[in-house]
Amino acid sequence: MRKLFLITLVLGSFAGTAWAVDQLADPHHAQPNAQDVQEPRKMDCRDCHSCDHPTGEDPCLAACPRHSSHFYGDHQADEGPDIVIIDQLANLYKPVIFSHKLHASMSNMVGGCENCHHYSERSGVIPPCRECHDPDSNEVNLGQPALKGAYHRQCINCHRDWGHENACGFCHEQSDGSAAAAVVDSTDIIGILHPMITATPTYVYETTYEDAPLVTFHHEDHVEMFGQACVDCHRGDSCKRCHDTGTHERVKFDHVTTCNSCHMERDCNFCHSTTTQPRFEHAAATGWDLAPYHTGKDCSVCHGNPDSFRTPSHTCTDCHIHWEVGSFNHRVTGLELSENHVDLDCDNCHADMNMSKPPVCTDCHDDMSFPSDEPGDRVRR
Amino acid sequence: MVSRRDFLKITGTAATTAAAGLVSVDAALGADHGKHLDPDRVGVLTDLTICIGCRRCEWACAEQNGLPHGDLSQCDDASVFEHMRRPDAESFTVVILYDATAGTENSKFVKVQCMHCEDPACVSACIVGALEKDPRGPVTYDAWECIGCRYCMVACPFQIPAYEYHNKLTPKVMKCTLCFERTMEEGRRPACVDMCPPEALVYGKRSELLEIARNRIRNDPGRYHNHIYGEHEVGGTSWLMIGDRPIEEMDLPVLPEQAPPVITETIQHGIFKGFTGPVMLFGLLSVLMKSAGDRRKEKEDDHV
Repeated sequence: MRKLFLITLVLGSFAGTAWAVDQLADPHHAQPNAQDVQEPRKMDCRDCHSCDHPTGEDPCLAACPRHSSHFYGDHQADEGPDIVIIDQLANLYKPVIFSHKLHASMSNMVGGCENCHHYSERSGVIPPCRECHDPDSNEVNLGQPALKGAYHRQCINCHRDWGHENACGFCHEQSDGSAAAAVVDSTDIIGILHPMITATPTYVYETTYEDAPLVTFHHEDHVEMFGQACVDCHRGDSCKRCHDTGTHERVKFDHVTTCNSCHMERDCNFCHSTTTQPRFEHAAATGWDLAPYHTGKDCSVCHGNPDSFRTPSHTCTDCHIHWEVGSFNHRVTGLELSENHVDLDCDNCHADMNMSKPPVCTDCHDDMSFPSDEPGDRVRR
Repeated sequence: MVSRRDFLKITGTAATTAAAGLVSVDAALGADHGKHLDPDRVGVLTDLTICIGCRRCEWACAEQNGLPHGDLSQCDDASVFEHMRRPDAESFTVVILYDATAGTENSKFVKVQCMHCEDPACVSACIVGALEKDPRGPVTYDAWECIGCRYCMVACPFQIPAYEYHNKLTPKVMKCTLCFERTMEEGRRPACVDMCPPEALVYGKRSELLEIARNRIRNDPGRYHNHIYGEHEVGGTSWLMIGDRPIEEMDLPVLPEQAPPVITETIQHGIFKGFTGPVMLFGLLSVLMKSAGDRRKEKEDDHV
């Protein structure tokens, strides 16, 4: 009996401690609000601890884990500084004047701030690189790059991709060995953003699929009608997709992960065809014209389930909660109800108030059905 | 008639036998390979997935070791990658481009230098003790001891030691010393490690470096090929490498896990362990002499 009591006591104290630690560790989010907290990420102990058995005395914390991003909050390009002058390490080279704003606006296209700022505090504050990356080598955590390594690894990969060169002079002006030179006039790079990208509205790709080689891709539709952001498809794209003027092979388009992330359910002929395909028009493709009230709405407003657009997963009354006899003018649907029908309850025709299904006429009329017989006159919406 | 080759073989064996016989008692203990090493011995980890082939390490190395080098901007000359280079008497380390097909941005490099083996074949081969394995990590070279036999160059599984053939009066064997003075005496990092812009090189305790390497591979298995070059090769090396592909695709020698001295020294020392060899040799000689003496005596008796 005493054993049982002891076990309960130990387990209870564990649970209590875990709860208390949780509360203490995260005072800002003690009461999480669904809107402003991201999904908890799957974490490995190694994300934060550098040893196998962290203890209270020696938690062996890895300050800024790099292999997985820990980034919180929603930041915009113009929040950060215009330029950052990197001169902490200027002995062989002059300081680097880093056009932060320009880079931030570029990162917006391919993945956001976390492209470079792989770590931010839970409060959303983004620390500068030097806060975690010490100018001297980190003797405690050798695996973490010091400031020099952190800067270079951040810059060099894109610049090699884009510029096909390794030359230090791209960012650095070589110093003559004297003290770090004074910063040159940097007004010409303050506030510069990446120019707006004008993409071709429609691309027609010739593929190796023999039966239906042509793929018509309406870029403009995806951006304007389907509301896709650049980063939805271009996440992780390198600058060279646009900037590469070199001679090497074109980057192979990975349609499996890009197109199929939305069009998974479709067969090949949804994209592949022997002819070029017209732009998507809801009226022509489905018989239900979006104009004028539903144009510009995000698809998910009606098609909540992004895996299937065949039927609306939301019903009209999910949004139109005040549709009642007397308050709803049926004329807006393009059909003005006749005198006999105008006073009927909605569910007399629309079974279960499901407006997306054809109305039921046979309950009252033995020989009538929709749409061959209509309970009113067609009008212009 | 004894051929020249046989003569050399016989004298060589005899000389080795005699030499080994003299040192047999001490050398017989040589089977304890690597046992004298400091558990905190240092090393360097090269992460080849980070290396960008900027060759600043070559420059820093030359600067540190008083080797000929040009201006820093000469490192940007990519034409040196067009032909095969090896560390030589004028450069302790070179960066090699092993996959030129991928274009500049994806090209892959290997930094080559002395690996500072845990059980170095060069040290084992050196007959005068000019090369030594410091228990703290570096394989050091003492030009005063060196007699210029160049056995170390033959013995090295990585073919690293080079010789100053152009120096007629005082030629030395040249190889990376892990910046011995800088690291062991001043407590700083090797010059190449300090210089490396993206910090593809990490200097520290070998045990910690192995841990870092394992962590990197585990955390990003897509980026790395699961092998730490130098963890086990030829009994382990102080210099470790990780990269994105198998070593045989990176122009690095594929080597067994056993250190060469384990075999060579075991054979040599085994023969002479406890004076077995000399006793057998001299025993055999005495039997031969005895029988020869007996025969002569018989002949003399016959004459009489």
